[in-house]
Amino acid sequence: DFFDSGHTNNWAVLVDTSRFWFNYRHVANVLSMYRSVKRLGIPDSHIIMMLADDMACNPRNPRPASVYNNANQQINVYGDDVEVDYRGYEVTVENFIRVMTGRLPESTPRSKRLLSDDRSNILVYMTGHGGDGFLKFQDAEEISNVEMGDAFEQMWQKRRYHEVLYIIDTCQAESMFQTFYSPNIIGIASSKVGEDSLSHHVDPAIGVYIIDRYTYFALEFLESVTPDSKKTLGQFLRVCPKYQCRSTVAVRTDLFQRDPEKVLLTDFFGSVRNVEITMETLSLGNETTNPQMSNQVCRSVNMSDCF
Amino acid sequence: MAASIAIRLIFFILLFGCVFAFEDDFHEELLVKPMKNGQVYTSFQFTTTWNVSVEDEKSFEHYHLFSKSLGEVLSHYSVQELHLSLTQGLWHYEKWGYPVHDAPPGAELWVWFRPGTENIDQTWTDLINVLSGMFCASLNFLDHRSVVTPHLAFRPTGVTPSHHQRLFAKNIRYATLPNENVCTENMTPWKKLLPCGARAGLTSLLNAYKVYDTSYHSLGVHFRPICMSDDCSVHGVELVQSLAAVFDPTLTSRSQDWSLKKLFARTMSSSCPVASSSIAMVDLSSNFSSPFTLDPLPSREEIALRGRIKVRYAVYEIRDFARNQRVFNLAAKYKSEMSFSANEPPVVHAQRFQTGYGQAKGGVMSLLYNHHPKENIIVNYLEVIPWFCRVYLHTLKIESFDKTVHDISANGTIRKPMHFHYVPGKDRQRPYHLELLLDLPPNSVTRLSFEFDRALLKWTEYPPDANHGFYIGSAVISTVVRTAKHINDTSESFFLRLHTETLLITLPTPDFSMPYNVICLACTVVAIAFGSIHNLTTRQLIGGISCGENAVLV
Repeated sequence: DFFDSGHTNNWAVLVDTSRFWFNYRHVANVLSMYRSVKRLGIPDSHIIMMLADDMACNPRNPRPASVYNNANQQINVYGDDVEVDYRGYEVTVENFIRVMTGRLPESTPRSKRLLSDDRSNILVYMTGHGGDGFLKFQDAEEISNVEMGDAFEQMWQKRRYHEVLYIIDTCQAESMFQTFYSPNIIGIASSKVGEDSLSHHVDPAIGVYIIDRYTYFALEFLESVTPDSKKTLGQFLRVCPKYQCRSTVAVRTDLFQRDPEKVLLTDFFGSVRNVEITMETLSLGNETTNPQMSNQVCRSVNMSDCF
Repeated sequence: MAASIAIRLIFFILLFGCVFAFEDDFHEELLVKPMKNGQVYTSFQFTTTWNVSVEDEKSFEHYHLFSKSLGEVLSHYSVQELHLSLTQGLWHYEKWGYPVHDAPPGAELWVWFRPGTENIDQTWTDLINVLSGMFCASLNFLDHRSVVTPHLAFRPTGVTPSHHQRLFAKNIRYATLPNENVCTENMTPWKKLLPCGARAGLTSLLNAYKVYDTSYHSLGVHFRPICMSDDCSVHGVELVQSLAAVFDPTLTSRSQDWSLKKLFARTMSSSCPVASSSIAMVDLSSNFSSPFTLDPLPSREEIALRGRIKVRYAVYEIRDFARNQRVFNLAAKYKSEMSFSANEPPVVHAQRFQTGYGQAKGGVMSLLYNHHPKENIIVNYLEVIPWFCRVYLHTLKIESFDKTVHDISANGTIRKPMHFHYVPGKDRQRPYHLELLLDLPPNSVTRLSFEFDRALLKWTEYPPDANHGFYIGSAVISTVVRTAKHINDTSESFFLRLHTETLLITLPTPDFSMPYNVICLACTVVAIAFGSIHNLTTRQLIGGISCGENAVLV
């Protein structure tokens, strides 16, 4: 079946809310997700990436123009054809809410807009420093879970999404989606309320922690996903069990209509256009000469829908 | 049937007619300049010319080699000329001479709008937003708080419109963003504007891991209208995309030898097929002091006159190498392992630094050098100071010293500017804009200084990293000199633009956790003092009667 998931286009909003060198890991987190969604087929024009600081070309980076997920330099998550839409001081709560709800100034370029519609599946990934009910932006302001929930409700009312996969990697991350009340959202958080999310390991050459546990294992899982793989969202929800994460990955599925075990992961992380192969030969002659053929192809559908 | 074939034929003729009507050219060029101190300056230049006129809006409809995404923006926002640079690192004039395209650290944008453009300020705002999306840079911060209309410092570099000359002089806007980072995310969209992208030709050398591992790198986009015929009756447009990087091969190995493979970790095996010319040039002027041999041998040698100075270039036609299926890896081997010599400083250069101490007052001081032994040099000095540094114009002091005098704290000869243009800043609305035309005596240092007050910002105006400090953009020095080791100019005298250092100043920054501390402290005091006093004053304490074990205190 074509698009039985009900969506026709995919978007990704990837947000790093932390500035400063010691928050290197948060930039690496976002870039890990960026790498995965780009590899699985979402183009840069459909990815809104917000990075609050420049780690790749930071003078402290001993390996310029690269950000690695691992001290052994396994994957350069920054890549060599990256595009960042909001960076530095542009990463604010206001800009984030404006992007999500589409209330941007008129002269905002298309690359900085979330031009989604009611057939869009949106992956929202956020990382930074958070607490019970809030996520800090650049150590200067914060977004609360109530604001976050209201933003999604506004998006739903404005028919800006079909389904949302909301992933957040921060301390007490679960609290961020506890207040959501709009339909078709599935939430994954790296930790429960009262728990800290932990980082994975230090790169001695860089001197700070370079990636967070949840995202490290999520990336490891996503690396095994290909555009045509049948891995499901249900499998992704089980990524990073407690012995790996040291925090409990929390999931919220009550707003989501479908069974996660039957939802393909590429419905959110990829941009897969299905092609149906038919073994029958179709004659593309005039419909007047072969009306029966047309009827066969378009059973029970209006003729106008065929063309 | 025959009729339909005839119609198709006519259609194809028309189509090809349209295609062949394009007269656009693409040239790619790489200049390698080994410097006497062992560093290697590489400058890429990609030039697209197109025979359309900026004044004819309909001409920007069919694209061939020229980037469509940029062309549409330039035409929609009535741009006559546009110059954008994204740079990291400081160009050291004393050591390196003059670059091909001069650029200050951070982002710099100056745009001439076509005559008759209505509401230029609004058009500028829309344009910077579009460019910020296009080049993945925060150019949208170049708003009214940082933009000025330079008086003399910037002239159009291309053809000026034939009419409305007087009005046109006000159609320029200039702004800089000194703290803008530059990385791969800026190079990606820049490469996309090129007809061959990053796939073939000189762009295939541009390896972000190497280019951004240098002490200086700069990306540029320069658009201007040009003459396409000798008598300038036919106009066209030119888009120059430049990339410069200064490598230091001596950092990684104990020899001065360099090769394209060593610098970029890549070699080139194809030239861009749509390029009309594809050349690499090596400046041989340092060959006398530290001799080197080039491999492969150049296609030819050219001598260029720069005023009175001869510069020799080794020129390589890259297409000859690509045609013979050979990998092009230009390499230089030095006779001696390390032979460095100091560069003589160029004719004009400048230094700038901040003066003063404390959090209330500050100042800026610039030293402008004229190394010419005999001639006076007239320079235009442009300074754009953000509104939060309240400049005191009466403190402006210009003195000149003999170059041999080392103690410049002494008093020199007081100089008066030949021309003076000053627009005072307004809080939160516009920057301070100072332009001076100065006459620099031969063999002299001219010291220019002024003072300012540091403003206290509103607490929401502080950026998240307020303690890092605030930047003041580079000062711009424009002049016309007779001789200099410049690259793209063969005339007797030519125009030169230099940028000084940016300044990082600290503003009085409050402790942002103070309100929280106050709230915590106040609450604690209220809870302890008020609570216990309230308890003491409202409760009645009666001595209880002991009833066995159930003693009660009411």
